[in-house]
Amino acid sequence: MTQAKPSVITEEMRAAVGVDGPPAVLEVEKTNCRMFARAVGHTDPIFYDEAAAKARGYRSIVAPPGFMGTPIFRPGGGGAVPGEMGGRGFSVPYKRVLNGGTDYEYFPDPPDGDVICAGDTITARSKIAGFEETEGSLGPMLITKRETSYTNQDGRVVAKMYGTVIQY
Amino acid sequence: MTTDTEFQITDEMKAQIGVESEPWEYEVTTTSVRMYARGIASEDPIHYDVDFAKSQGFRSIVAPLGYVGTPVYLPGKTDPTFGFPRREGGPRLNIPFKGLLDGGTETEYFDVICAGDVLVETSHLADLKLRDRPGGKMLFVTNEAVYTNKATGKVVAKMRLTSIHM
Amino acid sequence: MAQVYFEDIQEGQEIPQLKKNCSTQQLVMWAAGSGDFYQIHYDKDFAQATGLQGLIVHGALKNAFLGQMLHDWAGQKGQVRRFGCSYRGMDEPAQDIVCRGVVTKKYSDGGKHLVELDVWTEKPDGKKTSPGTAVVALPGKE
Repeated sequence: MTQAKPSVITEEMRAAVGVDGPPAVLEVEKTNCRMFARAVGHTDPIFYDEAAAKARGYRSIVAPPGFMGTPIFRPGGGGAVPGEMGGRGFSVPYKRVLNGGTDYEYFPDPPDGDVICAGDTITARSKIAGFEETEGSLGPMLITKRETSYTNQDGRVVAKMYGTVIQY
Repeated sequence: MTTDTEFQITDEMKAQIGVESEPWEYEVTTTSVRMYARGIASEDPIHYDVDFAKSQGFRSIVAPLGYVGTPVYLPGKTDPTFGFPRREGGPRLNIPFKGLLDGGTETEYFDVICAGDVLVETSHLADLKLRDRPGGKMLFVTNEAVYTNKATGKVVAKMRLTSIHM
Repeated sequence: MAQVYFEDIQEGQEIPQLKKNCSTQQLVMWAAGSGDFYQIHYDKDFAQATGLQGLIVHGALKNAFLGQMLHDWAGQKGQVRRFGCSYRGMDEPAQDIVCRGVVTKKYSDGGKHLVELDVWTEKPDGKKTSPGTAVVALPGKE
C-alpha cells in the first residue's frame, strides 16, 4: 500500500479562505499606463495620448487590459519570499512559485462601474478563494486560488481578478 | 564609407550646435518618483510618503536628485530604448560607431521638483569633441536641456548630458 | 482593423491573430510596467539556478498580449468584459508567440450583445502554452 503524500495545508490556511485581506492602494497615472502599454506593444493611442482618449469619450488615458495600477511602494515593505503566501506569511515547504493563471473581469459601465483611467485611485482587496493539492510534472504542488476586487475612488467596483498561484 | 579611424566632425554637424529643439513634456508622478527612488535604493520617506513630504513643507513627494520626470512616451515619436523624444527641430547626427556609453550628467537645480509637476523640456546640442583612442576614435556629444514647470513657467532645472560614441 | 459588429460574428470563427516575439529588452520593460521584478525573466544565471532551462516570458505578459488581441478586435465600439488564461507551457524570449482566439458562443443578455471566446498563445510548433477564455461585448448594427 502506497503512503499518501502529506498535505501542506494547515488549519491556519483553511481558516483564511474567504477572509478579505487588508486593502492595498493602487495608483493609475499617465506614466504607468504608458509604460504598461509600451511593454505589451499596444498601438491604440487611448493608452498613451490624453487628447486621443478624451476624443473617444474617456476621462483620461485608459488603463490597458490587465493593468490595475501600481501599488504604493514602501521601502522595507518587502517583496514576495519563496515559500510565503504573498503577504500572508504562510510557510509551505516549496521553494518555487509560479503564476498559474489570471482572469480579469471588467465592469466598465456607469453607474455601478467605470473604465479605469489615469487619475484613478484603486483600492484592491484580496481573499483566498480556496486551496488544492495535486501532483504535476514538477512534483507535488499547492494551488492557491485568489479573488481580488478593485474599487475606485467613487466606490465603484471596476474590476475583479481571479488568480491562481502554484507552489512546488 | 568612412571607417571609424577616418571619422571627422563635419560642418553640417557643427551647424546643429545651439539649435533649440521643440518642447517635450516630462511628467513627474507619484509612481514614477517612487520607482526612481526604489531604483537607487533610497529609503528616504520624502520620496515615498506623500503625507510625510507635506509635513516637511513640500507639495508632494520629492523627485530624487537626477530625476526630472518621465518624457511622455508616444509610440513612433519616442526612442523605444532610451525614451528620448524624437522631435522636429532636434539635432540629427549620423554617428557610425557601434559603441555607446553614458559620459556623465550634471544637473543644476533652481527649485524642488515634486510629484504632480509637469515639466516642459527644450534641449540643444552644446558640444562635439573627437578624441583618438587605440584602434579608432571617441566622439563626445554633449546636450544641454532646460526644464520649465508648465504651471508656473519657472525654470526648475538645467542638465548637461554627455554620451560617448566609439 | 474595421469595427466588428455582433451580427457579423459566427460561432466557430477565428479572430485575427496577434504575433509577438519578446526580446529580453521587452521582458525588462514588462518588469517596469508590471512591477514584477522576478529574476527568472531577465537574469539567466538565476533562472537556471531555479531549475529552468533559461529565461522565460512572464505569464502575465502573455495574458496582456491576449488582452491586446481582444482589445484591437473589439474595436472602438466594443468592450473587453473578461479575459484570462492559465500558464501551462513556458515561452522563451526570441521565439514567436502567436495569440489566437475562436468564438465559442454569441448571445444577448440584458441589452448587451456578448461573444465568448477560447483564447490562447501558441508556440511555433503549434503547442498551446496559455489557454484561456474571454467575453467581449460588441456593438449591434442598429
